[in-house]
Order: sequence, then C-alpha cells, then structure tokens
Amino acid sequence: MKPYFERMQRFGKELKQGRIKRASASMEQLKQVEAEIGQLKKGVEDAGFSTEQINKRGAMTVWQRLEYLVDPGTWRPLHSLYNPMDNANGATNVVDGLARVAGRWAVVIGFDNKVLAGAWLPGQSENILRVTDLAARLHIPLIWLVNCSGVKLDEQEKFYANRRGSGTPFYRHAELNQLGIPVLAGIYGTNPAGGGYQGISPTILLAHKDANIAVGGVGIVSGMSPRGGFSAEMLEDLVEKTRTFSAKPPGRVETHYHETGFFSEVFEEETEVLGGIRDYMDAIPAYKPRFFRVSEPAEPAFPSADLYSLLPFNPKEVYSFDEILARLVDASEHMEFRPDYGPEVYTGLCRIDGFLVGCIGNRSGYLGKGYPEYADYPGMGGKLYRQGLIKMNEFVTHCGRDRIPVIWLQDTSGIDVGDLAEKAELLGLGQSLIYSIQQTDLPMMLVVLRKGTAAAHYLMGGPTANRHNAFTLGTPATEIAVMHGETAAVAMYSRRAVKEKDAGRPLDEVADKMNTLAEQYRQHSRPEYCARYGLVDEVVELADLRNYLTAFAGAAYQNPRSICPKHQMILPRLIKN
Amino acid sequence: MTEEVLAPLSGTIWKVTVAIDEAIEEDDEVLILEALKMETPIYAPCDGKVKEIHVKEGDTVEEDQLLISIETE
Repeated sequence: MKPYFERMQRFGKELKQGRIKRASASMEQLKQVEAEIGQLKKGVEDAGFSTEQINKRGAMTVWQRLEYLVDPGTWRPLHSLYNPMDNANGATNVVDGLARVAGRWAVVIGFDNKVLAGAWLPGQSENILRVTDLAARLHIPLIWLVNCSGVKLDEQEKFYANRRGSGTPFYRHAELNQLGIPVLAGIYGTNPAGGGYQGISPTILLAHKDANIAVGGVGIVSGMSPRGGFSAEMLEDLVEKTRTFSAKPPGRVETHYHETGFFSEVFEEETEVLGGIRDYMDAIPAYKPRFFRVSEPAEPAFPSADLYSLLPFNPKEVYSFDEILARLVDASEHMEFRPDYGPEVYTGLCRIDGFLVGCIGNRSGYLGKGYPEYADYPGMGGKLYRQGLIKMNEFVTHCGRDRIPVIWLQDTSGIDVGDLAEKAELLGLGQSLIYSIQQTDLPMMLVVLRKGTAAAHYLMGGPTANRHNAFTLGTPATEIAVMHGETAAVAMYSRRAVKEKDAGRPLDEVADKMNTLAEQYRQHSRPEYCARYGLVDEVVELADLRNYLTAFAGAAYQNPRSICPKHQMILPRLIKN
Repeated sequence: MTEEVLAPLSGTIWKVTVAIDEAIEEDDEVLILEALKMETPIYAPCDGKVKEIHVKEGDTVEEDQLLISIETE
C-alpha cells in the first residue's frame, strides 16, 4: 500500500507576515491563558509538604517517582486541574497521564504523597474512573504508584459509598485484568483500608521494604470498639495501643512477602521499585511500532508555533481548519474523504508518527452559494448540516471497518435548526452519528479547538455521547457550553421580558439578570473551568498538541484488540476513486 | 487591469484592513465582513494595489456588492 500512504497529498501554506501581524493580539491572549493554566498546575504540584520535607523522611515525592519511572520526554499529563469537588489542594490527590515506560505506552497514576499522605479525597474516584476507562479503551497497561493513607475521614460522606464511589477501582481493576490488561503497582509507605485495597487489587505488586498494605491501619486497629463516647481515661489506653501499633503497623513486608506472598518482589530502595515496574513493562506484549506504521514518522512541514497565529482566540473569527491540521499531522499530508460533499466538515486520513488515523474537524466560515442545499439561507462553518452529518456517519463507519483510530477536532456552534432543518432529518442524522460512532468500537480522542456547543459537542466524538472517547483535550481557546450565554439569556428571560413590558414595569432588572447569566456562562465555559470540572481531561498548550496526538496514536496501535490488514482497507480506495 | 472584490454574502463591514494605494499580495486579507454571527475575512484574489475602497466600516452590504477594486499590472 505504499502508493497510498508513503506520500499523500500535501496541504497547507506558509504563513504570511501579514497574518502573523494581524494575529499578534490573539496570540497574546492565547499565551496569557496558557500561562494562567500553567500557574494553576504549578500550584497543584507545590501543594502540601515540600519536596525537601518528603525527601528528608527518606521518601520520594510522586513527581520524583514519575520522573524516574517514565521514558524521558514522554509524560503527557491528564486531569492536572481536575477538582470537581473543589478540594483545597486544587486537585483530587492523584497524578495521572499517558507515558512510555520501558518503551511501551501505559496509563500511569500515583497518589500525591505530599498531600495528606496520599489520602482519598472528594472527586478522586471520578478521576480514577477516567483513568481505568482510558486504559481499557486504549488497551494498554495501567501503572499505579500506591501511597495512600485511605479515606480523608472528615469528608468520607462525599465519596466513601455510592455507585461511583472510592471503592470502584477495586472492581475496575478486576475488569481490566479480565480484559487482559495488566495493572502494575509500585507500593510505598502506609496503605491502610482503602489504601490497602488500592495496593492489593492490581495484577503485580512490587513493594518498597517499608511499605505496608492492610485491611485496617493503626487508627482503626487501636480503636475498633465504640463505647458511646470518650473519656480521658480511655484515651490513656488509646495512646498506649497507638504507640504499639505505630511501631509495628499491620500488613508489613514481612507478612505480605514472606507469609502471604502477595508482593511479587520487595526492594530496598524506592528507585528499585520503579526499576521493577520497568522490568515488568518490558515483559508485557506490545507490537513494535513498525508492525502498524504505514510510513516513516515525519514532522509536519510547518512549525507548531504557527498555530498561535492560525487559531483565533476570538470565537467569532473565521479561520482555516486545514491550515491548523497541516501543523499537526506527519509531513502535512493527507487523503481527504469526499472533499466536494458536506463542506462544513473535514474528514480525511492522515499520519501521526507514521500511524494511520482518521481526522474529523469543523471547517470555519461561509460555505458558499447554495449550501445547505435544503434551505434558502446561507450556511456557515461550525454549524452542522445534512451533508456534513451524512459524511461523518460514512467516514467513521469506514474507519471502524478498517480499524483506523479517529481524532476529532471540534469547533462547533451546533446543528442547524428550524423547520427546514427538521425536514432535512438533522435530528435523526445526529443520532445516527452517535450510533455509527458506537458501532465502530475504535479508540478515539477529541480536541475541542474552540467551541463545543449544543448537541454537536456530543455528536463529534464528545465524551458524553460514546464509550470510545479515550480522552478529550482543551486549548487556551476552548469554550464548552450548551449554548452561547447570550442565547441562553434570551431563552430564559424572553417571556419574562414580555410579562414585565405588558405590566408596564421597566425592563432594567430583566436586562441585569440576562447580563449576569451571560457572564456566568462565559466564566463556566472557559478552559480553567472545563479542566476543573472534567469537561476536558486536560488543557494543553497549542505547541504541545501534537505530542498528545502522538501518544494517542502510539497507544492505540500498541496492542489493538482487532486489526485490519492495510492491504484490505476500503477507505483509502474509496478516497482514491 | 482592475480586479473586483465582491461580498460573498450579505452582512456588515466589520473592518477594512487595507488602505488606498497599498500594495497587496494574493490572499492578503483586505476586509472583514460580519455575517451570521461570524467575522469572515475577505482575501485579495490577486497581487496588486488597492485602487478604490467602496465601503466603510459599519456599512451593510448585499451579496455580490462591490467592496474593493484592485489595480493589477
């Protein structure tokens, strides 16, 4: 299939100086948001005890463990700012992301042992759910750096129980094992109760010599018989028991290596535990990249710095989607699927790091006379019309048949509305796209380049509407909301305005409320909000975007659950014809 | 020779980004049209010099209305 894939059609143009100059204010705004997000991430990293304090105790921080564990330059953090329950440390107390370890992609997650000794915090179970789902979707190993003091006791009611509560990783690890996905654990420090199950539930347990995992820790063992209250005399007894158990906590290495044999290996040094994980990663089955690559990897023909001049910060400004894609894919080459149909949507085959991927994105701007064909009004990119919806249905279906992972690049204001749009079956075609995506059973990722709005955010690979979205990225220009704030204000207050007018009352109060709602929408759709509440899995700098695409492609092709031989693919032939 | 830049759709002139007598290249942005809630840049169809600007910022224009004349060699 060399004639198809080794040289595809070149696209994109060099940036002109005029464009760079005109976009300079927009570039500053994009970089400003990136700097703000960077500061917030730094705040999460600095939370709790300092690195020096942890090191003084003879331990490494989770960040130091990660740095030692992963192959240099391959760490792609996710959920850095995820904090849906507004914890004081700015996160859910786990650090996770994609990384290569011993040459293989894995999902890596560790408890932040600088904060409350790695305790379970509100929102953490939702974070872990995303991580176990990610490993399952990409069919790659999950690596845990366990160092977990268990439930933060004074907030247990927020996360201990419930259908998606903090115990769910234990059965999710079982599910991963049943899917043939190994879960490796490096175990450090004291891990009682919830921490104990975090330690025991993976596939292979590698422990540091001072680690322990237990059904219950010192705090529980020394006070398990409630007597209806406390007295000073009782506390004397408690103090004595606590001292005894602290010196000798349950579930130590001598028990779980020598007696139960739960630990596969025990290491003297913290770094040796990480070395042990790397050794096990080396023993895990994974295709070498050349097995699936369709050509040698190549950088895009244009620099990623151009993205700051091409993606306008202003959500109303029209731009060229193709020029952006040309800065992300190998050699700025592609094979576009049905370029003369559904002009509001790009669909095409591209290469990322030598791997074949399907790319889908919204084209921006005026769509030309006579489109959409069913209406007497002009069409504008960002909106979805009949042809675009049909084209996406076809494209993802072919990708599913040919087993080609899909990257969605979304900047959509919604689906066309009105009687003509209903007659054109847009409601049904939108749901058909959800069906088509679900039918593929392919790994997919989404980048919300700018707007993710209305049902179109769902349809175009959004994490809300399918099981195949491995992760979703935001950019400094991302804004996600059901509709624009001003549209929402009109929807909510137009009848009220009529009533006030009919009653002869002034409209200022309604106008104030509408302005407040519009501002609330603005605040709640910005990148920081999207990252904090999980509307995206990470906000990524534009210059770093391709690195995440590379991680996705490498991970998706590492050990796929099904394969289509490239010479048996249909989609490239359809495009060529 | 004179090339004409026409409005691709009806809307409002948001910004004029060139001046009379300014030398421009093909694909340079010459003005921005606001229509359907979006700001659409209009590009020069050829190299040349801006001979005449027929609209000003804030003007409402119809589809195919003449916006700018470009003098080519």
